[in-house]
Amino acid sequence: MAIEALNIIGESINDSVPSTHKLFEANDIEGLLELARFQSEKGAAYIDVNVGPRSPDFMGDLVRKIQSVTSKPLSIDTPDPALARAGLEAYDAGKAGGAKPILNSVTSLRAKMFDLVEVQPFRPILLVSEHVVDGQSRPCHTVEETVAAAKHLVHKFRDEYGGTNDDCVIDPGIAPLGSDSEGNIHRLIGAMERLHADPDFDGCHYSVGLSNFTVMLPSKRPDGMPVKGALESAFLTKAMPLGLDMVIGSVKRKYELLAPDHPAVQCLNDVLKLTSFDVLMRVREFYS
Amino acid sequence: MAENGELYEAILVGNAKKAEEITKAALEAKADPSELVQKQMIPAMDEVGRRFECNEYFVPELLIAARAMKTALELITPHLAASGAKPTGRVVIGTVQGDLHDIGKNLVASMLEGGGFEVIDLGVDVPAERFVEAAQEDDDTIIALSALLTTTMTMMKKVIDALEQAGLRDKTKIIIGGAPITQAFADEIGADGYSDNASAAVGLARKLVGAK
Repeated sequence: MAIEALNIIGESINDSVPSTHKLFEANDIEGLLELARFQSEKGAAYIDVNVGPRSPDFMGDLVRKIQSVTSKPLSIDTPDPALARAGLEAYDAGKAGGAKPILNSVTSLRAKMFDLVEVQPFRPILLVSEHVVDGQSRPCHTVEETVAAAKHLVHKFRDEYGGTNDDCVIDPGIAPLGSDSEGNIHRLIGAMERLHADPDFDGCHYSVGLSNFTVMLPSKRPDGMPVKGALESAFLTKAMPLGLDMVIGSVKRKYELLAPDHPAVQCLNDVLKLTSFDVLMRVREFYS
Repeated sequence: MAENGELYEAILVGNAKKAEEITKAALEAKADPSELVQKQMIPAMDEVGRRFECNEYFVPELLIAARAMKTALELITPHLAASGAKPTGRVVIGTVQGDLHDIGKNLVASMLEGGGFEVIDLGVDVPAERFVEAAQEDDDTIIALSALLTTTMTMMKKVIDALEQAGLRDKTKIIIGGAPITQAFADEIGADGYSDNASAAVGLARKLVGAK
């Protein structure tokens, strides 16, 4: 891992990854375990486990089997409470050096999932890019909505479930830069600045699904410079000083902190000064 | 002016301001609005789609071109309505209940509009009943369903079931898409079509309405 302070939650065991989906469909458990071994060897801090719409029994069995091949803690990745319960019940902290698993993720609408701490103590990823409006989950469009969602979930987990800031992993929600004409990157960075400056959140951790940032963009520029890896590293360069210390991402990617004059950093800095379709124009200029 | 393909070029490179200027000038010069759409705007978006599918264009280019197309279309639509011209077809699109992801859905909606379809966008987290209500408003509607999550893709079957229960299944075509969606899943739930990208979705919709 190129950035020592960055913890990678290995993203490969996820039913929505096409190559992994084939393993799930073929019930190729050994193939899935190989993904766990590989990510573990390549420095993942956690191994994400997303089984898609399969049964709780399948989730439980897979968690046990993955823990038989790695001592890394797991991230139980599902919005389904029954699947989450099965994964947490099966998880053996003793096999991960006593480390709590991550539960990915809890939103304001799904805050009842905190009840699962009775099954197994866990570190929740708090997805604060959604909030509740009229009883429905809706995207946060502003910094204020995002910060309010973070306060609500962190306070609830601390006050009602005995959690600590160190347990809380705040995910402000990252959207693809190539389609971000509505200012999501401004909302994200603005919220991180506010949360990072608030002593109430001292000790909290921050994570994003980093691969999502560059999805649908080309891999390389015509001059051969990487596009996706460079923009993801530019994001880390911007967000790590604001507390970002985890990503759900690929252990194959060579993440690095970039110099201020790197073209990808300049692109991201420009994007943060632009709005609407000018953002897309600037991103296009970067990779063209 | 329009006959020289300047509107086609403006849309292809995503220059919304130029597309607006050219369209205004063409309409003032009494150009046939239907001809502008059929001979310049739709072919431009078809070319955008072709470049997207062969990785010459990426999502930013697609969105920028779609904005230019939309800018021109907003000027032309009142003239089209006055001339009695009909859209290629009617599409009701939305992300299924429980799913807040809208990027893919928005891309498809933009490309369908660019392809000459009337698009009714119901947004995200759309319950099955809303699709049924929208389908009731017009026969021969295409329902386009989007889902990003493996946990919400199952809602697509519920929409199909709801349309069947409402007696509307035979009057509608259902197309689906999204990261976890496959042709096998489309076949399994009885959808009429599946597309793995926004550009191909236009071709699929045209095929279903019998357009070229």
